[in-house]
Amino acid sequence: MRKALMGAALLLASTALVSGCDKIGKSVGSKAEVKNNAYPEQVYWGDTHLHTSNSVDAFGFGTRLDPEAALRFAKGEEVVSSTGVKAKLARPLDFLVVSDHAEGIGATKALYEAPRMMITDPTALRWYDMMHEGPAGSLKATGEMLAARASGLIPKALNDPEKSAKRIRELWDEHLDTVEDYNEPGKFTAFIGFEYTLMQTGNNLHRNVIFRDGKDKVGKLVPWDPQASLWPDDLWDKMDAYEKDTGGKVLAIPHNGNLSNGLMWMMTEPGGGPISAGYARRRALHEPVAEITQIKGDSEAHPFMSPNDEFAGYGTTGWDKFNLLGNIPTKQGDLPGSYVREALKRGLLIEQRTGVNPYKFGVIGSTDSHTSLSTTDENNFFGKHAGVEPSSHRATDGFVPGVMSGRMNWQSLASGYAAVWATSNSRAAIFDAMMRREVYATTGPRMTVRVFGGWDFKADDLKGDWVKAGYARGVPMGGELKPGGTGSPSFVISALKDPQDGNLDRVQVIKGWVDASGQSHEKVFDVVWSDMAKRVAVGGKVPAVGDTVDVATATYQNTIGAPSLATVWNDPEFDPKLRAFYYVRVLQIPTPTWMDYDLAKYKLTLPPEIPLRQQERAYTSAIWYNPA
Amino acid sequence: MTIKASARRLLREPLVHFLIAGALVFTLLSGRTPDLGERRIVVDERVVGGLVSRFYDNFRRMPSKDETDGLIRDWVADQVYYREALNLGLDQGDEVVVRRMRRKLEAMTVAEAETKTPRDAELQALIDKDPARYAEDPRTSFDQVYLGADTPQNRALAETQLARLRKRERVTGTPIPIPASFSGASADQISGTFGDEFTLALRNVAPGPWNGPIASGLGLHLVRVSARTAAQPPVLAKVRQRVENDWRAGANARAREEAYARMLEGYDVVIELPK
Repeated sequence: MRKALMGAALLLASTALVSGCDKIGKSVGSKAEVKNNAYPEQVYWGDTHLHTSNSVDAFGFGTRLDPEAALRFAKGEEVVSSTGVKAKLARPLDFLVVSDHAEGIGATKALYEAPRMMITDPTALRWYDMMHEGPAGSLKATGEMLAARASGLIPKALNDPEKSAKRIRELWDEHLDTVEDYNEPGKFTAFIGFEYTLMQTGNNLHRNVIFRDGKDKVGKLVPWDPQASLWPDDLWDKMDAYEKDTGGKVLAIPHNGNLSNGLMWMMTEPGGGPISAGYARRRALHEPVAEITQIKGDSEAHPFMSPNDEFAGYGTTGWDKFNLLGNIPTKQGDLPGSYVREALKRGLLIEQRTGVNPYKFGVIGSTDSHTSLSTTDENNFFGKHAGVEPSSHRATDGFVPGVMSGRMNWQSLASGYAAVWATSNSRAAIFDAMMRREVYATTGPRMTVRVFGGWDFKADDLKGDWVKAGYARGVPMGGELKPGGTGSPSFVISALKDPQDGNLDRVQVIKGWVDASGQSHEKVFDVVWSDMAKRVAVGGKVPAVGDTVDVATATYQNTIGAPSLATVWNDPEFDPKLRAFYYVRVLQIPTPTWMDYDLAKYKLTLPPEIPLRQQERAYTSAIWYNPA
Repeated sequence: MTIKASARRLLREPLVHFLIAGALVFTLLSGRTPDLGERRIVVDERVVGGLVSRFYDNFRRMPSKDETDGLIRDWVADQVYYREALNLGLDQGDEVVVRRMRRKLEAMTVAEAETKTPRDAELQALIDKDPARYAEDPRTSFDQVYLGADTPQNRALAETQLARLRKRERVTGTPIPIPASFSGASADQISGTFGDEFTLALRNVAPGPWNGPIASGLGLHLVRVSARTAAQPPVLAKVRQRVENDWRAGANARAREEAYARMLEGYDVVIELPK
């Protein structure tokens, strides 16, 4: 079986001679130098997590659009989706990371295109035949592939890096050329990256790996396949080696803590025993940002740990019962290691003990779309994979037929995007902003949110040039508030609606801290909301903003909420002896979900468990406070 | 053992699979199917040159004498197996082979387009077809004061604030996390921040004095345009990469269609409907 597939791999390698994808003698237009601002004035929108036909699963699901199509789409061009639907973003993105799975990159496409007689492995042949049957068969085959991956039963020949080395080398070189062609500093940033699909029997430990550099440096490697790795240490070794060899820079973004069964943000080291300072430092250094929200659910907070937060649990339905591949149930005890808010609290606890915080990370949203189409607009959502692109039945379809049983497609969120406060639209500036965590996440809408923490901000600051003051007298989101100020920390917070989306309901500060006895706590403060004169808090609770959604037509009115909310907030419960973090959550007024847009478009009657309205949101990176 | 049975046995051999496939590639590269009856295999300079250069591509060094001999032995074996396989009719009636050949030929037509470097004239023609697409964006420098949601109260407020601004008095708007001043902003940038409606309205604001209110997706603004540059006609040198991307994306599809149309011309396609 291995020999046969090796034959296929060789054949595929040799066909490249014919298809000759090297862009020989191609002239490269000079890339304009980009001017950086003194401080970030503009937020840039992008997706750090997108799969194309080069990803094993995406191709199996039916995606035929390649990275070039993904880049053109992100830049605002119209493309035709894998299922033949015209697709165009209402607004282009500022940057994109095509992050195909390194594991077996291009392998499904290679298998599909191999001559049938070359395939002797019965499992591979079965999948080959199913894929050639048509979309339904292909979906089913991919379901089987994922199940096989969960139980370690992928035919070795399908994913043997040694045997497919040449094919991967050529694919990667071609990919790098494409990314370079579409990287247009100042206008659109195309990053080089891939997904490091680290997993433990279906428990998700995936990371997206993103480079600050171009082909000259990243061309020295091919995407790293985790193979038998169980923990991210091997990835960090590779990252270190890359930086040492090339002088380049690389970071990793973990995602879907919600599907890790508690392994994403543990209190212990992989080998057992409490996390040491060395391990903590390594983790924080390599993973400055985590993906908090995406199509496969939201990992901000879970009601189990946050029973007093009435808005916790967004996008957790269906995602908190099993690990990624649906083969191990999630126990309640797994939940704390799976969600971001708890991870930030754990970080404080570990820092208290070791002096280093392993989980001092910023947050971004991204799609993890497997369609080559980075879409989050509820009325223009192309789904998780090609099998659930727009159709009259996708709202009631399963998430992936055949696997992840019990998960329904309506549990998919049309989420999210990464917002980056960078000094220019360029690889260097956006990457550096991620390193300093000056980033935030939204579930799709492009709300603009700024936060500065300091010791002497007053309400009057908002009347002047508060951004300049924020940088001069404080730290932006992602920063660390140094002790030494008097009184309690003050935060300048300003949130603005997406000009093409719903008004804002409220702005909240979420504080986490560790008390003197070493217990961690959290508290949600409503700090500014619309119509504050009318919506008076009762028993510490702000009344709901209302609801203008008309589900029959999938419309809403901006007659409630506010277009912008700003305040200067002081922590009323500050104790200078206790370490703490503060992050901001912005809630929109209720708007229709993608299922509601489907309902209106296709005149559907949907079962009551399918939510038709929701409050989209933004999560900022935290600002940390460490006592002297 | 019948021929059929031995063929079946042969087909189970992975090595044979590879060789057949390799031979298919060879055929396409050499541009002709060897005569089935031909029993002569010639290893000439061209053949050896090809083998060596492929080796070099893989290993980044020249093959040793022994390695070159090995490459030649292998190539001869390829030819023998390939011709025998054709003699056995292994390529006949196999839909996969048919499809595979089609895909290869298609790939070759596209590959030609892929490796071609467009001439400047071709790129210029593409620009001329849709100059607006490549034109340097018009740029606007402006100041804006945000007054909040578009309500009757705020429209009234706009009147008084506008009067004050025109008298050069200081006016504080509602604080929002976007700059009060934009310098040389493109239409995309303005639309991304304020929405399309605002971008269109801003176009009609005369430079100089404070104006407004104009509405955006955010609410009401007073604006003052300080400078505006018109869209600059595209210059190839500045937009080369973008035009080349478009040219290449289009060239692949065009090459495929044109090649098929050319080949199809040589055929009579007769569709016989059942009587």
